[in-house]
Amino acid sequence: MSATTCPSCGAELAADAKFCEGCGKPVGDPAAASGTPPAAAPDAASEDLGSGPISAPTHITPVATEAPPQGGRRPCVSCGGNVGPDQYCEQCGTKQPSERDHFREAPAPWVAGVCDRGIRHTRNEDAMALLASSTAGERAALVVLDGVSNTDDSDQASLAGARAAREVLRTPLPRGMGTPESRLSAVTSVFADAVKAANDAVVAITPEGSDHPPSATFVAAIVEGSTLTYANVGDSRAYWLPDGAPGVQLTVDDSAAQLQMEAGMSRLEAETGPQGHAITRWLGRDAPDLAPRVGERTLDAPGWVLVCSDGLWNYASEPEALVAQIAAAGTTEPGALALALTGFANAQGGQDNITVALARIDGQNADAAPTDKAEQKESDG
Amino acid sequence: MAEFTAAVYQNEFLPDGGTDVNAIVTIACSGAGTAGQTGGGSAGEIIIVDTSGSMGPQTMAAAKQAAQAALAEIVDGTWFAIVAGSDRAMLAFPKVSSGPGMVQMDAESRSQASEAIGAFVGSGGTAISTWLDLAVTLFASVPEVNQRHAILLTDGENREGSNKLDAAIRNATGVFQCDCRGAGTDWQVAEIRRIAQALLGTVDIIPQPEQMQAQFQEMMRTAMSRGVAEAQLRVWTPQGAQVLFVRQVSPTVEDLTDRRTDVDALIGSYPTGAWSDESRDYHVAVRVAAKAIGQEQLAARVQLALGTDVVTQGLVKATWSGDSELTAKIDQQVAHYTGQTELAAMIQEGLAAKAAGDEATATTKLGRAVKLAAETGNDEATSKLRKVVDVDDEKEGTVRLKRTIDKADEMALDTASTKTTRIKK
Repeated sequence: MSATTCPSCGAELAADAKFCEGCGKPVGDPAAASGTPPAAAPDAASEDLGSGPISAPTHITPVATEAPPQGGRRPCVSCGGNVGPDQYCEQCGTKQPSERDHFREAPAPWVAGVCDRGIRHTRNEDAMALLASSTAGERAALVVLDGVSNTDDSDQASLAGARAAREVLRTPLPRGMGTPESRLSAVTSVFADAVKAANDAVVAITPEGSDHPPSATFVAAIVEGSTLTYANVGDSRAYWLPDGAPGVQLTVDDSAAQLQMEAGMSRLEAETGPQGHAITRWLGRDAPDLAPRVGERTLDAPGWVLVCSDGLWNYASEPEALVAQIAAAGTTEPGALALALTGFANAQGGQDNITVALARIDGQNADAAPTDKAEQKESDG
Repeated sequence: MAEFTAAVYQNEFLPDGGTDVNAIVTIACSGAGTAGQTGGGSAGEIIIVDTSGSMGPQTMAAAKQAAQAALAEIVDGTWFAIVAGSDRAMLAFPKVSSGPGMVQMDAESRSQASEAIGAFVGSGGTAISTWLDLAVTLFASVPEVNQRHAILLTDGENREGSNKLDAAIRNATGVFQCDCRGAGTDWQVAEIRRIAQALLGTVDIIPQPEQMQAQFQEMMRTAMSRGVAEAQLRVWTPQGAQVLFVRQVSPTVEDLTDRRTDVDALIGSYPTGAWSDESRDYHVAVRVAAKAIGQEQLAARVQLALGTDVVTQGLVKATWSGDSELTAKIDQQVAHYTGQTELAAMIQEGLAAKAAGDEATATTKLGRAVKLAAETGNDEATSKLRKVVDVDDEKEGTVRLKRTIDKADEMALDTASTKTTRIKK
């Protein structure tokens, strides 16, 4: 990266500047920062703005900042006005989130995501990493990690983990020996590798002697033609929400609420109860078990693949509730819909960090699809 | 080249539904240089001396000496003029009747001006409006002078309709700055303060003729040290916000709220006059729409601008929080200056009530002033108050008006009422 523009705000820099005169942030050589994940691949025409400085003090060097979009800062998240170099809106004064507190990715026109701090939390411990081929419906990977609050540096850990997993998922999934069973087994092994890579990244960031080692949930979804494959650890979710048809929650949470529901408690009661957000499995140094639940499904209609953290589904857990919000947003543009769903969660109180990653499926891509049945298959590992 | 810095003191945390944001912004200037010598234009000084018949021989002699002492402080190259004021204003120096009404200081003009001052004779009444009007005309006759300052000495009450003086003050506002001094005790503090406040200057009493020379010397020395000709305080507030007030609170309390001119829909500009190496504190209060807990926004950008160049700025923030330990605190600086502002009001209102014969109100207000002066550590106000009232209980603010008060002490309390102290660390 050339040293002539600020990596944080895009302002021009003096040749030997140590700090940006525009935003005041230190101007380091991003490549020199430790733990630098690989930059997004060239095919990922990414709007990913990187991690930037984090709001809360952390013990380690932040993950390197990637280049800002051309032309500098985004318009104000609140009123759309110009944002000054001090990150306050010049019109309404709203403090703009840091790049870690609010970032977006749009690797292709049919895939986009928003990762947002929400309102109540002081930092964004959610993370996502997306990739997609430019041909609509061909191939995409959507990874979301939800860093657990009250653990050290879980904001750093979740982002490093999400990016590490994305790298594992960059190559097409194996087809196996030809049978659905062997394919699922091979795919499960790839997801296990992705979870392990994410876990390794989380553990690598764990401060020495930490009493609260960073931990995170994991969910990933891969679209390959009409086949959707997904895996999760914890309570971040993948949904399939076809247009004008009942949607379905694909992943099964590793949570106390899920256990209570399986024992007969209603969803509402379980998810809003005192144990509603207790997860039973996670990534991190003290992870009990890293094997993801893996499943796949054929996408035979136009609709949305949604991968999200509980910051969204807290306010719309049932697929019908999500479908209603999608209908209310009235768009088939994934970036706009991701923003709308994030805005919905914030309007409901924004109690937790919110991540919304979406792939738009037009239902015309049956060619690349394996000929599997439409039913959902699942494996514990 | 002058350098400016800004520091903001505030509690940015607002409770749920909270709307009012208070902050103290300290702006400091260093490297100001000398008036008219920094390449940004020329400086002009006008010395206005009351030469009405009320000036006794002793006072007149002292006034001449004082004017000459001030003259001695004016730096070579500075444009200047001497005005003798009675029921009309006379241009005592330079002796011209057309063209530029000011000349540049050098050895010759200095000695000629000194001679002109020496020839002052007291006669006639006091019409201060004519003095101000002449000063405006003189400054206008030398367009290259962009830093305009006058010192005005009077010894008596203005003998003309107050609307005449008001019109002259309006006419002079924004044209020049004016420091005002009253000799003896026959002048009206409120009247002269009105001039000084509008013209961004100071007001003080010179009770004894022998103190005059030192005061004039000091005043002119300060004026000459103001190398920054003119600066404006700019306050940006977000759309929909309301500026409740903008006050200078140190070194003196000056309410600037009504002196706003709009730069654009969101930015207001307030005059601050010329700057030397000094620091001033401003109290800015802004009302914003309440946001959700956890949200943060900018409530104001407080900037100092030289012309259109913003040279420093401080950010006033608002963050809504559900933590009452955070939101209940009042910033120490804000509390201090809120007290000092009330102190100034209590002194002025108390003395006004006393002058109107309302002893009960005067006692209450001056009692409150004694309490505030003690609480905010304003020792000067405390000692001046104690010359006017007997204090029974400083903490409670229980006082009695003194039976016999030196008029000069009462006026000194009045002129000094707006002086504030900085917070004691």
